[in-house]
Formats: sequence, structure tokens, C-alpha cells
Amino acid sequence: MNDPYDILGVSSRASDDEVKKAYRDLVRKYHPDNYHNNPLADLAQEKMKEINEAYDVIMRSRESGSGSGSSNFYRQSTGGAYSSSSGSTNESARIRVAINSGNIRLAEQLLESFSTRNAEWNFLMGSVHYRKGWLDDARRYFQTAVSMDPSNPEYRHAMNMMNQSGSMYRRPAAWQTANRGMSPCDLCTAMMCMNMFCRCR
Amino acid sequence: MFGYIRPFEGELRVNELELFKACYCGLCHCLKKKYGLISRFILNYELVFLSMLFWDSEQEPKISKKRCIASPIKKKNYCTESAAFDSCAAYNVILTWWKLKDNISDESFLKSIPNRAFSFLLRRAYKKAARDFPQFDITVRQSLASLAQYEANDETSLDAAADFFAQILPAAIAEDLPETKSRPMEELLYHLGRWIYIVDACDDLEKDLKGNRYNAVAVRYPPENGKLTKNASNLVKSTLIHSGNLIGLAFDLLPENPWTQIVGNVIYLGMPYVSDSVMDGSWPPHKTKARNGIDR
Repeated sequence: MNDPYDILGVSSRASDDEVKKAYRDLVRKYHPDNYHNNPLADLAQEKMKEINEAYDVIMRSRESGSGSGSSNFYRQSTGGAYSSSSGSTNESARIRVAINSGNIRLAEQLLESFSTRNAEWNFLMGSVHYRKGWLDDARRYFQTAVSMDPSNPEYRHAMNMMNQSGSMYRRPAAWQTANRGMSPCDLCTAMMCMNMFCRCR
Repeated sequence: MFGYIRPFEGELRVNELELFKACYCGLCHCLKKKYGLISRFILNYELVFLSMLFWDSEQEPKISKKRCIASPIKKKNYCTESAAFDSCAAYNVILTWWKLKDNISDESFLKSIPNRAFSFLLRRAYKKAARDFPQFDITVRQSLASLAQYEANDETSLDAAADFFAQILPAAIAEDLPETKSRPMEELLYHLGRWIYIVDACDDLEKDLKGNRYNAVAVRYPPENGKLTKNASNLVKSTLIHSGNLIGLAFDLLPENPWTQIVGNVIYLGMPYVSDSVMDGSWPPHKTKARNGIDR
């Protein structure tokens, strides 16, 4: 295993709080929720494992005196699978398996040969396009699925997920403009304000 | 060629901006050295970005000083040779060549004369680049040909049109990369190409409508009074944000290299700035007072 401090991106002299903060930022970055339905989900999961292990190693080695548990924030692995909903046919179950295993081409072939183009067909078609990164078409299919079967929670959930992730920019801590600490400009403004107070007296 | 893939200058640190400019100059010097003076005029931001992305994580950029045609008196910093520059210079030549050919086939004979002249001057550089990177050359040619065919049929899927274009950049990835690196890279470049295609279609909307040319966004979301409806504009925007987020997720899985901070700036700050400006009509920045692009 590589140096656990390298993995968390902190120096070995960093305080416990600094290590925790670095760990927390990385967890936020590689969290499985971010990579839900993403073709790179397995790589992100690997990364999470590496980060968890590094954090555990550091905390265990530091803990020798203090005795506090090295519970990390994120442990369980989520599948994020398309479960076969009740009422779906054998054919659609096969398609769901194909989508879950990342075999998008097979899922697409199966869908093309599908006889009935009902709400579920549109939903699965949407899922396939979503996995391919064809977001505009995915939305079209999800919309059709929802309008054909408005009460189905699975279809509505997919539609919401899709809308949500297109509604705001994801930006890790290192590029968050407000997070860069106090800029020289802020400092100037603060000094100017203080100056004013001084003069008032 | 497009100029959409650039950092948001206001959020770069001073040393990062210097380094970025040196990278820009480095690629330019490489183009001149390998493909002659004419090829300098084709340098574009997209390929500077690729150079930073493909940079070997073990190699620290080396800076040197040189005069050049753009700065004949004062010597300017530039990054010295790297394998990333060599390949990206060739990609730059190949991409420009096929883009010129594409433009020529779209134009009437008279209008196409400048492009024809330019491609005549570029032909030797192109031959050399295509000889060095034949697979990339074939992919670009085929993808653009398929796209032209698709466009000729007036098909309505924005995603399918973007897909042809998005196939191009992943072909630039070196073949010997391990899967843990090549897969995020492929995903990143696929969505980068997709994003460029859609942003470019939005940017060209007015022009294409006037010239009665195919425009993938206009075909998918028929405009009213020469503009996208508010609803359509929001949907396209959310597609772009989504693609941008997928680019970021792929980027986060790549190992760090000396350019990571700047590449992240392009992805997380530069590209959102560009797409927002294109969608609200304030692109390119010289149309408005706020200048955020980096000009030499």
C-alpha cells in the first residue's frame, strides 16, 4: 500500500483535525452517490476503499494513546441496482440485469427487439441512454415513461435524479471559489473598514 | 478552433497563470518546430488543454525563455519539449485540416477560396502529422463524415449528432495506458467533445438559421423568432451542466500531474463560465466589457 498520508494528501505532521478534514473532503469527492449510474463507479469505489484504509491506518497509528475509535464516515458499498419491479416480464428482467452489469450494448439490442413499447420500455430506454451519457434523449424517454404511468415511483425518481444533477455544477473543495481563504482583496477591504473606524474617533 | 476550453483567469493563482501561458507558448513552439511557421496560426485552446491532460505525471514542466513572432522583442516563458506537446501538435494539425475540409464542402466555391488557400499551405504539415498518428487521422475523418451524413438527413436527436463528434477526442488517448487511467480519460474526452459540439451549436444558432444550415440544437428545439425558447434553453443548459459534471467525475479519478490545478480550473470554472455566456448571448467575451479569456 502507498503512504497513507500521500493518499489523503496531507503531511505526516498534520493534526488530527487536518487529517479528518482531508478525509472528509475526499469522501465527499468520491462518494458512491456521485457515481451512481456512472460507468466509472467501480473505479470510484476502489478509490473509496483506498481512502478508508489510509484513514484507518493513520488513525490507528495515532490512536495508541488516546483510545478513541477510528470510525470512518463511509463504509458500506452501495449497489445502486435496478431492482426488478413487480409486474415486469422476463424480458425486462434480462434488460435490467444487462444495465446493472454495464452491458449497455446488450441492453440496447434487447430493447430494440422488445414488442411492446410501454412505460417500462421507455424507462429502460432512458436508463440505457443515461448510462451512455446521452442526457437529452434520456430525459425524453423518462418523460414519456412518467407520462404513461404517472404513479410509478421508480420512473419519477429517475426523472428527478436526472433533473437534479443537471441543475447545478458539482465543484470539489479545491476549486470552490469561496473556499480559498481570505483573499488579499478581502484583507484590503477589512483594513479600509478598520481605518474608517479609527478615523471616526 | 473553438476556444471554449480555457481557464477562468480570475480564479487562477499568479503562478498558475504564468504556467498556463508557458504551456500555451510551449505548444506553439512545438508546432513551429515540427510543422513550420504556418501551423502557428492554428494553435487552439482545446489542444493546450489536451497537452495538460496528457502530461506525464512524473515530468515537471521545464520553463525556458525565447523570442517569437508574437513577441519579437521581449523574451517569453515557454515550456520546453514534452511527449504531450508532440502528440497534441499533431492532433492540432489533423483536426484543423479536416475542419477546413469540412468548411470548404459547406461553402460556395467563391467563399471557400480563403479556406482552400489555407489548406493548401497546411497540406505538408497535415501529411506529416497523419503519417505519425494514422489512427487519429482516420477517426477524425470518419467521425466528421458520419456526422455530415447524419446532419444531411435532418435527424432530430441532439445526442446522436453529438455522439459522432464526441468519438473524436478519445482517439487521442495513448494506447499503452493502464485501464484505471484510460477509462476515466475516455469518459472525460467523450463528454468534452459532446459538450463542445452542443455549445458550438448554441453559439452558431443565429448564424446557422440565417444561412439555412443544419443546427442540431435548432432541429431538436425549434427556435421562436430566431432564439431558443426559455424552456428549451433551460433544458440544453441542464444537459451541458450534466455533461460538465460527468467530465469532473472522470477527471477526479485521474492521477494528479503538475497541471491538475489548472485543468480543474478549466473544468470546474472555465467551462461553466463559457457555457453560461454562450447561453445568455454574452459570448465571445470581447462582445462585452468583462474579459476573462486569456489573450496573448
